[in-house]
Amino acid sequence: MSDTRAAQSHKAKKLIERMSRKLNRQMAGSLAACVHCGMCTEACHYVLTNPDDPTYAPAYKADRIRKIFKRHFDWTGRVLPWWVGAKTVRTDAELEELKDIVFGKCTNCRRCSINCPMGVDYATFNRMARGLLVSVGIMPEGVAVVSKDQWEIGNQMGVLKEEYIDTLEWMSEELSGDMGDPNAVIPIDKMDADIVYSINPREVKYDPRTIADAAKIFYLAGENWTMPSEGWDMTNFGLFSGDDDLGGAVALRLYEKVSELRGRKLVISECGHGYRSTRCEGPNWAAHTVPFEMESSVNTMLRYIKEGRIKVDKTRNDVPVTFHDSCNNARSCGLFEEPRELLNLVVTDFREMVPNRSENYCCTGGGGAMSMSEYTPRRLKSARVKADQLKATGAKIVVTSCHNCVDGLTDLIRHYKLGMDVTQLVNLVANAVVVPEKIAVEKPAESEKPAAVAVEHSLEAFKILVVDDEDDIRLYYTVLLEDNGAKVIQASDGDEALKLAKSEKPDLITLDLNMPGKDGGQVFEQLRKDPELAEIKVCIITGRPELRRLIYDRPVPPPEGFLDKPVDDHALLLNIRKILEVG
Amino acid sequence: MSELLRFSENELQEYALLIMACVYTLRIIWLLHFKAGRERQAPTGQFRTTRARGIVYSWMNIAMPWEMESTRTKAFFYVQFVVFHLGVVAAIGLSFVIPYAPGVLKSGAAVLIFQTVIGLAFLVSLLRLVRRATDKYIRAISSPDDYFSLALLAVWFFFAVFAAPNRPERGEAFLLGFFMLTAFFLIYVPFSKISHYLYYPFTRYYFGKTMGYRGVYPLAKSKQ
Ligand code: SF4
Ligand code: SF4
Repeated sequence: MSDTRAAQSHKAKKLIERMSRKLNRQMAGSLAACVHCGMCTEACHYVLTNPDDPTYAPAYKADRIRKIFKRHFDWTGRVLPWWVGAKTVRTDAELEELKDIVFGKCTNCRRCSINCPMGVDYATFNRMARGLLVSVGIMPEGVAVVSKDQWEIGNQMGVLKEEYIDTLEWMSEELSGDMGDPNAVIPIDKMDADIVYSINPREVKYDPRTIADAAKIFYLAGENWTMPSEGWDMTNFGLFSGDDDLGGAVALRLYEKVSELRGRKLVISECGHGYRSTRCEGPNWAAHTVPFEMESSVNTMLRYIKEGRIKVDKTRNDVPVTFHDSCNNARSCGLFEEPRELLNLVVTDFREMVPNRSENYCCTGGGGAMSMSEYTPRRLKSARVKADQLKATGAKIVVTSCHNCVDGLTDLIRHYKLGMDVTQLVNLVANAVVVPEKIAVEKPAESEKPAAVAVEHSLEAFKILVVDDEDDIRLYYTVLLEDNGAKVIQASDGDEALKLAKSEKPDLITLDLNMPGKDGGQVFEQLRKDPELAEIKVCIITGRPELRRLIYDRPVPPPEGFLDKPVDDHALLLNIRKILEVG
Repeated sequence: MSELLRFSENELQEYALLIMACVYTLRIIWLLHFKAGRERQAPTGQFRTTRARGIVYSWMNIAMPWEMESTRTKAFFYVQFVVFHLGVVAAIGLSFVIPYAPGVLKSGAAVLIFQTVIGLAFLVSLLRLVRRATDKYIRAISSPDDYFSLALLAVWFFFAVFAAPNRPERGEAFLLGFFMLTAFFLIYVPFSKISHYLYYPFTRYYFGKTMGYRGVYPLAKSKQ
């Protein structure tokens, strides 16, 4: 009994108080029913990659939450706490330990849940525990920053409205150019459209090609579609943080925008957690009955092909591909067969990875793991299971219908040197789609291209200062940028960066934040405050996305770009060209 | 038959059953006092997955070891699970047969069946005890109740094997031990992990309902 009489921190008290409000019958059942049989143990990728550490076992992790439940809500734990392993939580340090488990040792992938003979759904109450910790202000910094951005800016990557609209207009121009039809555009805020298309902010920031590809497909299918100017983010950090209020607010923003536009159907671009949040959880979090239909763009594309609205030529995608089921799409929303059906229509060599469908392993970037940089080494270690799965397929490309998985897979592929590319179905469909002759534009032959087009995307005229304390990262950026024509200079710390900025006056600085001595934040502020250097464009590239707020909150104009590491060739060049207004 | 044995076989069991029924009722009321989650969204998944199918599939899951990777890949463990639980059913059955239908045990075959099933369950319970104490994953999640409940069952099975012939005239020790333990069990079970069989239909019902509605149950298993 002593553990409840001892002094309890304010946060611990609040957490227990709020637990009573969060518990529902399903969760109480899951918390009460575990028989400690251990059948779920090997279902978890963390266990498989940490065989000597039993603290990674799902039931062990679940028991950290269960013991609090038992101590406060179950009479066996009230009467005989020691006997049944019940224990309250007293100090903030204990809450921090709990944070390490629920955020850092579980991606909420639900693989253990479907392997439990008792029907214990650990992933669900792990999310509840995350929400409780968030409600008392205990969470990884990245979770705090992303949640704040989603509350305040309306999307989880802090993409401003102008940036979003600019990108849509840019992609719209590309589409008109490609199709040779001035009417081939991305309609924004069109009323009474049959389809309102919502996307992940990652597409604006790192992969606008997916927006262009989707636009091409809608255009060729003759769809009456639109994209909203606001409330366009279908991702929802509430799913990861366990914050139902955030989840509800974000989902409602999107639902209300679709209703305002009188859209008939909301199509959700390929994103596992976005699909789950918007399609499945959102109406529950927001206590809102959605008056229109919602579907994944995978279903939309599949329907277009089946109905003959677009024609595809699968021989255009003749490289061996494999498919990764996103946990949220598959184990939480039942999206198993449609992506495969679509894939088989647009590629010639599809190879299943094993296991697959409901038994597939997490990409290890799930549950918001990509935004929690403090757990990166743990994440990458646990990714060995996925790496082995990928390698065994012999495929060159891994396809996934989830942006989180794209990032998680890209990172592990680089870490384990698998040499594979990651892509989405929309890219493959857009590549396979046959453009009818009447709109196919004659492309000028290589020799006939005007000189200006040949150097359209070159960085030749630009001097770029690469600042990073890691030699291999500096080397990687330098080689890539030099290959694209830029003149590159390098600095390995803050002081050297300022010195070179003064002497060389570069057009752009790529700036790391975590550096010994003067850190990137200080360098950035000094650059902005020095009238001689204030005009230099800055692109922050950091492995700690949670530091974004520290940069944007400084009393100086914000940087022109902000990228999260790991960054790939495509994203780096895309963003640098965008900042330098090239191409 | 001594008065003590007669009492143990009859009134003691009835009181214990009554207590168990009361505590179980309270358990169910406790579980139901938590609010039920509500799904406002339209169902996802393919037509073969519905709420009802999800619930039935979920309940039947344990009888379909091929459906879950965990049971599919641990055949020996699954067999142990079946034997262990058959032993529990047989021992419970025995606690009713002895006082209410002793004629059944006049047949040597019936006695042998009871003894074999319960004896095997006893062996499994020993294996499980060893596993719990030696497997680092299981040890890390085990509470005193986990060890005690299992040890208690092992002892109960042991007594049940020797009580099965129901021959008090040859000595009452095993019969008395079996019925005393049964009574203790009936009272202890609602407070221990053994009450999981009460939760099973609940957790499986809710999990099946959600997963069926969301197109996950029946599971789309891995295919080559
Ligand atoms: S499989 Fe289920 S009952 Fe067994 S330890 Fe895991 S969560 Fe508990
Ligand atoms: S939900 Fe996934 S990551 Fe979390 S414990 Fe279960 S299997 Fe492991």
